[in-house]
Amino acid sequence: MRQRGNRRGTIYRAPTQPFARRVSTRRHDHVTPQILVLRETHETPENVARRLERAGGINRFGEPNYRAVWGWNRLAWIGGKFAEHDPATGSLLREVVELRQEPKYPAVNRWHIERWLPPEVYGSPSAWYAQTIERENGVSIPALGPYPSRGEYEHCFTLEGPRGEFMQLTPTNAEHIARAIEFSRHVSRSRKRSSIDDRERREDRAYDEWAYDKLDDAVPAFRKQPFVTVARGNDW
Amino acid sequence: MPAQANANVVALQLEKVRDKVPLLYERDDILLTMIQQRGDVEKVSSRNMRLPLQINPGGKAGSYNADGGDLGRGSGTSYDVAQVSPIFFRFAIEITKLVEYATTGRERAIENATKREVANGMKQFRAFLDKLMQTAGNGVLGTINSIASTTFTMAVPSGAALVYPGQTIQIYDTTLTTNRNVAASVTTTVLSADPINAQTITVDNVPAGTVATDVIVHDGLTGAQPVSLFGIKYHQNNATTGTWLNLNRATYPVQLQTPRVNAGNAALTPSNVRLAINKVRKSLGINHISKLIAYMAVEQEHAWENLGITVSQIIKEGGASDGNDLDLLFSGRKTMSGIPIKSSVNADQTRVDFLDLAHWGRAVLKDIDFYEVNGNTVFPIYGASGGLAASYIFYFDTAFQVWDDSPRTGAFIDTLARPSGYKTAVTGDW
Repeated sequence: MRQRGNRRGTIYRAPTQPFARRVSTRRHDHVTPQILVLRETHETPENVARRLERAGGINRFGEPNYRAVWGWNRLAWIGGKFAEHDPATGSLLREVVELRQEPKYPAVNRWHIERWLPPEVYGSPSAWYAQTIERENGVSIPALGPYPSRGEYEHCFTLEGPRGEFMQLTPTNAEHIARAIEFSRHVSRSRKRSSIDDRERREDRAYDEWAYDKLDDAVPAFRKQPFVTVARGNDW
Repeated sequence: MPAQANANVVALQLEKVRDKVPLLYERDDILLTMIQQRGDVEKVSSRNMRLPLQINPGGKAGSYNADGGDLGRGSGTSYDVAQVSPIFFRFAIEITKLVEYATTGRERAIENATKREVANGMKQFRAFLDKLMQTAGNGVLGTINSIASTTFTMAVPSGAALVYPGQTIQIYDTTLTTNRNVAASVTTTVLSADPINAQTITVDNVPAGTVATDVIVHDGLTGAQPVSLFGIKYHQNNATTGTWLNLNRATYPVQLQTPRVNAGNAALTPSNVRLAINKVRKSLGINHISKLIAYMAVEQEHAWENLGITVSQIIKEGGASDGNDLDLLFSGRKTMSGIPIKSSVNADQTRVDFLDLAHWGRAVLKDIDFYEVNGNTVFPIYGASGGLAASYIFYFDTAFQVWDDSPRTGAFIDTLARPSGYKTAVTGDW
């Protein structure tokens, strides 16, 4: 059952000192402790979830086809051999073979819109394991975790501005994105392809025009033609 | 006073636009120029540039017995040195005497003709170098799948995408040992190319001995196993034999191997993408993928759109036209599982490469400019008789090489199927 209302986010803080500080009488030990935010989580607002459900409908399991998730909340299985590095020096500390849940998307401090994909998109369970099993140190481990028998939500869109700046999740934004993707899904493949081809042609022309403009900058103004400004009658 | 020759006027016009040449070249809309000249190694001599690489970490970790136990010895970080040496590239442009007659000597007309040649030439030169960026460092632009008279049907993935009409090419045997053009003393020029549908190339001369499985390389390469620009397939490679930047891959089979996902001729799926990205995250650290780009051919961008989980190009075009807040959403970057997409018409049609361009660089020996001899940039052409020919020539030239100091930082998915609607030359089906 979905939780009601706009739940506030949870902030996981790192301890300000890794080990208990020893009592000291030296003055410089009495500094203001700094809080380092390790992981900030947010639940999806109810009104956004409702609007997404209205825009994209529900799947065969009665779950919405679209959902909005905060980057830190969205964890996924990653299995295999992990190299752990010293954050200070970057040198390799150890290698561990295990299955972990880690943030699925690189932008952890952004809202993401996801769409549900049915399990058949991922092939059969045997094909899934054939492709994803990794063997490390004699251990077989599924690199993407267990087969998604109930399908999986996949990334559609990260809410951020054109220069990567944060953008707040609102019901209107979320619905707009879901409807745009739904519209895209119903566009024929040939139209999608020609649209990409058109973009390439446009970019090609844009380079030509830009190059000609740049080369124009290299010639004298008015192409060395003499000119004078002439006042127009009684306009003054 | 001698009469003004067209070459003088053309040279004058070239000088006028000279400072614009680097600007036209360096515009970062193609992969080659997205790879920056790196400040620390930007200017190199004709000797090899050396890239020190940290191959293995140092130090011995373990527990010990504090009750008089032996703490053991330590170890230090091990390094090796990768090396690159720049390759010279040129692009030759000829203007015929007809330009002078057609423009009747008017300066503006000649200026326009020169401007057109400079702009078109630079565009073509950039395209040529960007095509080389897609190769494996040996200058191979494609593999002949079958021959019908002077028409070659080329094997996908490269197909006929990496050549252009008018280009001089050379044909080598599949082992890159025998240069068929040198053996037959003929020059081969591409007359037409169809990289969209039939993947065919029509040429003027087919050297004797040319067979299917032969490969096409660019002009200027000589000898067996020629070396050209080190492209994506050179650096993003999971081979454990051969050499990489003068290092033996067999010596460092793990460190020099780029993680690979074999799609097995199936269509692109989100799980392929996650597998590839996760391989990078596992080797570098979970949160170290923020600088990756997903580099692919437009065919794979189309395949990603066909999954129905992204806003298609059609919507983005509509959205970017006016300026309200919602439309801003669609003027931003297109992504693949959150990784920004950079697509190209030149990229391998069956591959997606995840590149961290922070680890890539260009070692430049000579910046792009006009080729110059004693202050001259335009040169006369001589006819077969030894007399003058009715045309002039000028060149762009540059010398550089591309390097990647961390092959494990990237990943790639290969042997992807192309979406329907793109003809496959290998099987001839759609």
